[in-house]
Amino acid sequence: MRILIIEDEARLAANIARSLRESAGYAVDVAADGEDGLFMAESNPYDVILLDLMLPRLNGLQVLKKLRAAKRHTPVMVLTARDEKESVVSLLNSGADDYLTKPFDLGELLARVKALIRRGKGQASPLLTVGDLEINTVDRTVRRSQRSIVLTAMEYRVLEYMAHRPSAVVSKTELLEHLYDYNWEKFSNVVEVYISGLRRKLNKGSVTPLIHTYRGQGYVLQQ
Amino acid sequence: MPTSSIRRRLILTMVLTQALLAAGLVFTGVYYTHRRLQFALDANLYARAMGVAALVRYPEETHQPLIFESSLVPGKDLAAGDLFVITAEGVGVVAHSPQWPQGLDVSPGRPYRKIKLARVPYRVLRLDKVPILDREEAVSNLPSTLTVIYATPLVELNRQVWRAGIYIALVSLIFLGITVLLALWGIRRGLSPLQDLAAEATHVSAQHWDFQPPREAELVAELRPLAGAMETMLQRLHQSFEQQRQFLGNAAHELKTPVAILKSTVQSLLQKPRTPVEYQAGLTQSLEDVERLEKLLKGMLRLARAEQWAYGTLKRNLDPVDVASTCEDAIEGLRGLAHAHDAEIKLNAEDGIICRADPEDLQLVWINLLENAVRYSPHGATVNVQVGRTDHRARVVVEDQGPGIPAEEIPLIFERFHRGDSSPTRETGGFGLGLAIAKALVEAYGGSITPESAVGQGTRMIVDLPLNLN
Repeated sequence: MRILIIEDEARLAANIARSLRESAGYAVDVAADGEDGLFMAESNPYDVILLDLMLPRLNGLQVLKKLRAAKRHTPVMVLTARDEKESVVSLLNSGADDYLTKPFDLGELLARVKALIRRGKGQASPLLTVGDLEINTVDRTVRRSQRSIVLTAMEYRVLEYMAHRPSAVVSKTELLEHLYDYNWEKFSNVVEVYISGLRRKLNKGSVTPLIHTYRGQGYVLQQ
Repeated sequence: MPTSSIRRRLILTMVLTQALLAAGLVFTGVYYTHRRLQFALDANLYARAMGVAALVRYPEETHQPLIFESSLVPGKDLAAGDLFVITAEGVGVVAHSPQWPQGLDVSPGRPYRKIKLARVPYRVLRLDKVPILDREEAVSNLPSTLTVIYATPLVELNRQVWRAGIYIALVSLIFLGITVLLALWGIRRGLSPLQDLAAEATHVSAQHWDFQPPREAELVAELRPLAGAMETMLQRLHQSFEQQRQFLGNAAHELKTPVAILKSTVQSLLQKPRTPVEYQAGLTQSLEDVERLEKLLKGMLRLARAEQWAYGTLKRNLDPVDVASTCEDAIEGLRGLAHAHDAEIKLNAEDGIICRADPEDLQLVWINLLENAVRYSPHGATVNVQVGRTDHRARVVVEDQGPGIPAEEIPLIFERFHRGDSSPTRETGGFGLGLAIAKALVEAYGGSITPESAVGQGTRMIVDLPLNLN
């Protein structure tokens, strides 16, 4: 999953980014003002955008409206220091999916981000299942037929992303875009490495393969 | 505390004056009636006295006494209780009324007087030297004049006076009652615009500031100034209330952000076990966050205090202070920032510019102005500070070569928590309070601060302060 934080308080943005990376394994980008944030949001496929309201150049509400006007449906969570009813109502009406008032709890932020990701992908439960495969997105554990499977951080991120969109073809580029932030060089062959590792671990003691390759198009996770 | 009522007071005043008037009227009426009746009675008394005196005549024989024709005395006068006695010199009592009390003696003196006989008041007339009418037959050894004392009871007169008094008093009372009723009605009508005004005023609250004085109140000359004063007072109150509310909202907002940062720093530090180096870095960060919060709080308190001075609640004895030296101190304090921004601050000061102020306050003003100037300056630029005078005022100009302020933003720069849209101050720890504090301090010392700026031409902040003239 890849998250964009648009927040001009560099320290706060860094803390949120660190928390998201460490406890959820998400790829996180940070934009320090509204214009940069809008540009990044429009040019990358983020899974959730965290948006501060008081921003230099372009304020949060303007960013939100422009994003929605450009038919970008990425879930947006607004971070605001104001908690008056009117401003919350106008935020939600302008296309925000959720909001948190400062100062907030990082744990709550993380839980809400996870919920937004699920709903953004059409999933309601934090427990993702594909056939006999179970992925718990809360404590990030994976089981197949009651057998626990230990994955590396990157393998889990690939699997979780694919599990959010079961039976859909996920291209290598899409995976790369959702797994890495700006600070990483993108080499498409690393995806193949993770996929083969995943296949090996998931298929241990089982006969039905779960990850299928569609040559030239990508991968599909299904029974 | 005892309450008083205008209506009650007006009515009481009116009743009192009316009662006084009625009392005066009753008194005058009674006095006048008494005078008139007594005047008539006196004339009557005189006529009756002369009437009885005329009944005395000389006898036909010289040895006989004076004759009194008692049968001719008018019976109705006697029936009314009239008393009389006729005496003559050398003869004694010539005649008297049947009930004349023995021993009554009316000494000579004023002709009319009042006496009491057996508790009954009488009007008495004493007439001396009344000639005996029957003169041609005068007998030399008999007196030629008489003394007549005639008395008539005052019961009837007193009753009439009493009745007149009661009559006047009753009429006055009726009129008094009518006046009070009229006054009640009039006062109620007269005060109703005041009540309308009060009713309108009760609708005003912190949520609802609309105040439209009722038309009736505006049409009353005495209420117009009150209604007008209430309107302007409410407008001013509303304005300052809104300002306070905005300040409070902004302050809460500005406080939440550093708290959010501090909280996130600590929480992300606690998310998993970390190395001592990481903890140390986290604690250092937290300390920086706390220091930033402290700086913001100090700024807000400073602003609140400066604004209190501006409203004159704090009176202080101020010593003369050299403006140029406070500028030097401020520039010295900003060396680090200037160096970091690769900017140079040049001071061009006239000697002997003295103001009465707290040097720390002036220094803070220059620091706040210079901080902005330096932060907005491009690298390698110069910030000029000029200290001089213009007609009885000290003038300090801080001039930068920054991007300038758009015209529409100039009126906003002194607002608390305002930051230029492209402002880099957040990153450098500014809160948008500096200029507001500078303005409040300058105004507290009776000075003014004027920005001159245009996009692309830099900014000049002109501070004028009253000079210390002695």
